[in-house]
Amino acid sequence: MLAVAVQQAINGVVFGSLYVLVALGLTLIYGVLVQINFAHADIVTIGAFAAYFFTYTLGGNYVASIGVALLIGAALGWLINASIFAPLRERGSELLPLIATIGVSVLLQNAMLLWFGPIPYSFDSPYSNQVIRLPGGTFITLQNLIIIAVSTVTIALLYGFMRFTFMGKALRAVAQDRETAGLMGINPNALIMLTFVIASALAGMGGAMLGPILVLTPFAGTSVIVKAFAIVIIGGFGNVAGTIIAGLLVGLIESYTTQFINPGLTDIVVFTLLLAVLALRPTGLIAEKREENV
Amino acid sequence: MTVLPEIAAAPAEPLFRAEGLHKRFGGVHAVRDLSLTISRAAIFAIIGPNGAGKSTLLNLMSGLYAPDAGRMTFDGRDLSAMPAHRRARLGLARTFQKIRLFRHLSVLANVVAALHIHHAIPAWQYVFHGRAFARDHARAREQAMKLLAFVGLEQRAAALAASLPYGEQRMLELARALATAPRLLLVDEPAAGLNAAEVERLIERIRLLRERGMTVIVVEHNMDLVMEIADRVLVMDYGQYLFEGIPAEVQANPAVIAAYLGA
Amino acid sequence: MYSGRRVGYLIAAAVIALLPLIFQDSYWRTNLTVCAITVMLAIGLDFILGYAGQLNLGHCAFYGIGAYASTLLITRLGVPFWIAFACAIALAGAAGMALAMFAVRLRGHYLAIASLAFAVIVHQVLLNWISLTQGPLGIYGIRPPPPIALPGLPVISFANAGNMFYLVAGFALLFYFLLDQILRSPIGEALTAIREDEVSAASFGINCAGWKVFAFGIGSAVAGAAGAFYASLVGTLVPDAFIITESFTILAMVIVGGMGTLLGPVCGAILLTVLPELLRGFGDLRLVLYGAALTLVVLFMPGGMAQAARLIRPRLPGVRAKLLHDRAA
Repeated sequence: MLAVAVQQAINGVVFGSLYVLVALGLTLIYGVLVQINFAHADIVTIGAFAAYFFTYTLGGNYVASIGVALLIGAALGWLINASIFAPLRERGSELLPLIATIGVSVLLQNAMLLWFGPIPYSFDSPYSNQVIRLPGGTFITLQNLIIIAVSTVTIALLYGFMRFTFMGKALRAVAQDRETAGLMGINPNALIMLTFVIASALAGMGGAMLGPILVLTPFAGTSVIVKAFAIVIIGGFGNVAGTIIAGLLVGLIESYTTQFINPGLTDIVVFTLLLAVLALRPTGLIAEKREENV
Repeated sequence: MTVLPEIAAAPAEPLFRAEGLHKRFGGVHAVRDLSLTISRAAIFAIIGPNGAGKSTLLNLMSGLYAPDAGRMTFDGRDLSAMPAHRRARLGLARTFQKIRLFRHLSVLANVVAALHIHHAIPAWQYVFHGRAFARDHARAREQAMKLLAFVGLEQRAAALAASLPYGEQRMLELARALATAPRLLLVDEPAAGLNAAEVERLIERIRLLRERGMTVIVVEHNMDLVMEIADRVLVMDYGQYLFEGIPAEVQANPAVIAAYLGA
Repeated sequence: MYSGRRVGYLIAAAVIALLPLIFQDSYWRTNLTVCAITVMLAIGLDFILGYAGQLNLGHCAFYGIGAYASTLLITRLGVPFWIAFACAIALAGAAGMALAMFAVRLRGHYLAIASLAFAVIVHQVLLNWISLTQGPLGIYGIRPPPPIALPGLPVISFANAGNMFYLVAGFALLFYFLLDQILRSPIGEALTAIREDEVSAASFGINCAGWKVFAFGIGSAVAGAAGAFYASLVGTLVPDAFIITESFTILAMVIVGGMGTLLGPVCGAILLTVLPELLRGFGDLRLVLYGAALTLVVLFMPGGMAQAARLIRPRLPGVRAKLLHDRAA
């Protein structure tokens, strides 16, 4: 019994750390732009497919494919910001960019559906089947270990970047007050682009690592993104530390629900938690946390 | 219902009273232990250096923010836990420092929208527009035109609100606030961005409102305007009460002078 | 009602009357009925999004609630169709109001995510509550509305695709009329004020929370009606008919048509339903087209077809509403 619980905890951490990677991208973008990129999910999916084709069709090294997915994700992020968010920023509409990205998401998903078909691709990394036995009768595949390792390192690097480097501080400055940051010689548009690129690179990377452990179809990203939204809200939009904690939490909740309740109910549990969080910490009409200039 | 109601000669009791208002945002004490009393048919100005908490006070009064502590009464009615839209029905209206017009609507439509609380139509006529609907519709438009005439915008009724020059947008804000037929009007920096002629017109209108029995609270930086029209002036600094009195007293008060020049 | 609009309604009624005479095969008549259902969904969403300004991504949930509620009442409890229909509308509307009451203080993005979460939960419940809904296996053999026998006339059977179209399209026109009338009243003014700026709307005495709940209730009720018709048209009901992609599809129709114009979304719904049928062979591209259309419209012509129409003919009668409903291009 304990062994099962610990095993599920391990699984929870694995998925959780991947959700964190994806959710971090969302929260970074929101922190800096106050916008949601709905197509974030599809960057994850594209990252997974990119890794797949690099590994299988081009015969490349799996670990290298993670890097490839990262680059492709970064490129997509650049493209989406340049073509959608930057032009719409002038118009100052709050919801139009979100709607535009819904369009992009539907477009990408169904284009992939046409191109790749709905049948799942079996994506086995060379490490999927290598198992490491742990005390207490639990085990972890090498793939999962790599996931945890890469995710942890990446998240730590990102956190360090945000807290301690000049660029990171500049990003946070832009998030707090774009105009003033601009007046201080920081180029907000360049920084927003940088944020997008980093966020989407993380998504691509997440996709490459998720490929072998999820069902790889054009909808792979969607199953992750909905949880990523939940994580971002639970952790707080724009709050990096909160996202990390919430991501691991959601991963754990998911594993335990799958094991001890019913696999079909994981989404319901996670989303009910999301709604509960929203109910308890609503944002008012005027955010009373900071005085807003009416 | 006329556009600017003759507010009946009122009892001597003050129209608005606040006691011990407190409001914090995170670590910042925007308003601290503030009390004030507003009498009827008067123009009451609130001044103070930047960051003194004047706008926060207005937001507390109009119901946008809930105070952390303290009480407010309007015409004897306790305002605690009364949301902003109910205060409007009681007779409390306001304009905003940042212009909040309905940009995609016409000037006329903006004022008509503000007449919301005055509609008198039986519920079924919202779907099947009968005679009462038509009468109400016509009356609302007539009302709105009168309000626009009061602020001098009747020629611009069909224009898009966003297309008005800044000074006219501010007057439209005023017209909208008057549409609710308030007894207490809160005006937040009405003269900001207006040229001298526009400020003169504004002063005229505020005086007219007072003559009609309305009570006006003006938050302003423009000292000339304040000294010219205010009956009483409250000076705030760091969210707190600093001084209150008639304009002449305020100008002479050393603490006030220090607050403005010292900081 | 001024004469321009009256003419508009007459033309719409005439078109509805003529369509089944032009398209005699049941395949096309069924498509037209589906079109009428999507029109209902689109105007319901426009009421919430285009007029009250609330980005509701959960519209498909109320569609599904309407479909399942009416079907279960009929098949499990033997409730007559029209009573089940009324219940479906009421239930969907109530669910919409419940979501709104929950989300009423949430700002734009939070509301969007909350409505999305709600839709996913509803879909998962429909999928997993097997004893109630038979889950992914679905419910089969749903009958069309019962025939109507009027004295002196032949019995009107709704198994006939043409009659079914008249019924559904008639209701779509009715709902359009009702929504249009409400929107041209001070209620519409209040909703528009809320969409434009909630803070100043409240300062005019508009109860923003209350009207948002109202808007959700009305829009969701219409979606529920659409669901009830869908079930009785298609005859089988599976939860996957109400996945979140449906919400995006309806959103695309509203935006492409022109949100906040009521007539625009009607055109958007018709265009995006009929076009893929005409481009037969490109059937799989349907959703790709929707996605592309949505993105491009938002980027280049956010007012949709209505904006395009205004550019071409500034004095388009019927589409051009009174001063109050003007939107800048």
